[in-house]
Amino acid sequence: MNKIEAKNVDVYYGAKQALFDINMDIEANKVTALIGPSGCGKSTFLRCLNRMNDVIDICKVSGVVKINDYDINQKDTDVVRLREKVGMIFQKPNPFPKTIYENISYGPEIHGIAQSKSEMDNIVEESLRKAALWEEVKDRIHEPGTGLSGGQQQRLCIARTISIKPEVILMDEPCSALDPIATAQIEELIDELRKEHTIIIVTHSMSQAARVSQNTGFFHLGKLIEVGSTDKIFKNPTQQQTQDYITGRFG
Amino acid sequence: MNKEERLIKRYKAEKRFQFYGKAAIFMALLFLVVFLTKIFSTGYTAFQKTWLVIPVNYNADLLYLDPDKKPTTEDINDADFYEFGIETFINLDPDASEDQIMELKKMFAFTFERELKYYLLDNPDSFGKTVDVKLTASDDLDQVFKGNYPRDIPENRRRASDYQLKIFDKLNEDGRVISEFNASFFTNADSREAELAGIASSFMGSLFSILVCLSIAFPVALLAAVYLEEFAPKNRFTDFIEVNINNLAAVPSIVFGLLGLGVLLAVFGLPRSTPLVGGITLSLMTLPTIIIAARASLKAVPPSIREAALAMGASRMQTTMHHTVPLALPGTLSGTIIGLAQALGETAPLILIGMVAFVNTIPGTPMDPAASLPVQIYIWAESAERGFVEKVSACIMVLLFFLIFMNLGAQLIRHKFEKKWN
Repeated sequence: MNKIEAKNVDVYYGAKQALFDINMDIEANKVTALIGPSGCGKSTFLRCLNRMNDVIDICKVSGVVKINDYDINQKDTDVVRLREKVGMIFQKPNPFPKTIYENISYGPEIHGIAQSKSEMDNIVEESLRKAALWEEVKDRIHEPGTGLSGGQQQRLCIARTISIKPEVILMDEPCSALDPIATAQIEELIDELRKEHTIIIVTHSMSQAARVSQNTGFFHLGKLIEVGSTDKIFKNPTQQQTQDYITGRFG
Repeated sequence: MNKEERLIKRYKAEKRFQFYGKAAIFMALLFLVVFLTKIFSTGYTAFQKTWLVIPVNYNADLLYLDPDKKPTTEDINDADFYEFGIETFINLDPDASEDQIMELKKMFAFTFERELKYYLLDNPDSFGKTVDVKLTASDDLDQVFKGNYPRDIPENRRRASDYQLKIFDKLNEDGRVISEFNASFFTNADSREAELAGIASSFMGSLFSILVCLSIAFPVALLAAVYLEEFAPKNRFTDFIEVNINNLAAVPSIVFGLLGLGVLLAVFGLPRSTPLVGGITLSLMTLPTIIIAARASLKAVPPSIREAALAMGASRMQTTMHHTVPLALPGTLSGTIIGLAQALGETAPLILIGMVAFVNTIPGTPMDPAASLPVQIYIWAESAERGFVEKVSACIMVLLFFLIFMNLGAQLIRHKFEKKWN
């Protein structure tokens, strides 16, 4: 079953075209990795899926992006509702300069999810548990989130995102600022989260794509060159460019 | 040049650079110390006031009151204390000639009538008795006593005559000249007589002006900055506005004074010489300073925080109010305090809107006429009497303390917010 369908997506930054006619289907409850050399447009594509490109003044997106069969690029799409359904993790951990508790309670609070203090406490604990952070921070959840280590901060951001139970989680190179141990923890977590969420991850590391994803899309110069199951892309790609990139001849 | 020599040269260059830096700091400190020493050494005497303690006979006949009846408050208020005062002064030198009597009178502040009356009102038991009463000395004698007046120059170039000095020295020998803390400097409004002039009016005027200025400039500037930085589209029009704000910050303050005069007073007919008009005029001047500071602090908030909030499904308004503005607040507050400190020291625009008027009442509201501290300094610095010289320095000290107090407040607020957000 396809969670997301992108049809004829073009993206322009001013006069420069960043994405050319992207057509891609993303399966539910699977991890889809987007790989490709720097500047190939994979992050741009990711940001099309929760309309984060709206923030950039000069960015123009055309084409159809359907999530649950609903086109999110319509004029009257409520981006607040959209982003409630489609969460995002960024390259650099970006916890709010508030306490760990407040970081997680923020989402449920603005969306009115928790009715009482005890319900909120439960959401915070559950989110931290799911992000495999609870045991490490349970004694100091009222301390600043910015005081955590890089890996912990990134897991805090994941906990923050899953606190409002999004259907889709977008991850933009979530491990690029982390050390190998923290990376391994996040990767384990991604596999766990897949049961309840559809995950799309942009990564520079091909080994990471191979480890965590079921499907992979390869981008190059703003075009989607090839998409398919991770096994197939890494072992038996149909395109020469994919083959060259996988084997490390460029990129 | 070999490698070793180059290395030595580099170390030397660094040492030289550090020396220049230290020298610069030393220079700045030296100027500060000279400035403060000058202000304090000239001004500290203004906090002391000279009194002459003289025997006063509250004789019923001299006051034209009934000697057998205890006078009521009304009787005392109606009594003539001028003639009574003159009679009292004559007692200091019973042989005084007509001219000398006038000189005796001039040894005291012209408020002697009131002082004699209030003493009797406060101590009704002294009626019919001779008691020692403390009267404010004239500013000439005040200056003589403080040593600010040379006594050895020819009499015709002195304000205190030989005769006055003779009487004064006699009083001094008897221990009847005393120097006490000058409370009236803080409680009195301005006066033409140096010994009576105080800063109450100008202090309250400054305080009200700053409050009016703050309550207008801060919210307007914050809203403008937030809109421009977070919501407004980046186009020619907003560029134009930005250029104009920067220009506005560089406009000489006297132009804002003319604006206040031409618009606030002439068109809207607001009351002249009031802290209300002063505050509005100053707020126009402070506005661009705060907007620029607020925009800089908003720009300094990392975009990742905005992205984090937006990705959580916060609206732009929520992102701004929950995250961006609170993070930008410490910087904005610092800018606000800098702007207000500038406004506090501003003289030119206030002169144009009439706050330079001689005000001898203490304002109770921003709608009452008042002076302001810097204008008060200007008015006193223009005055000829020797007594105002120390007052100018004292007023500068008060202004400096006001500023230090404000900056301290800003630091505290900043500290509190930064602790909360980092």
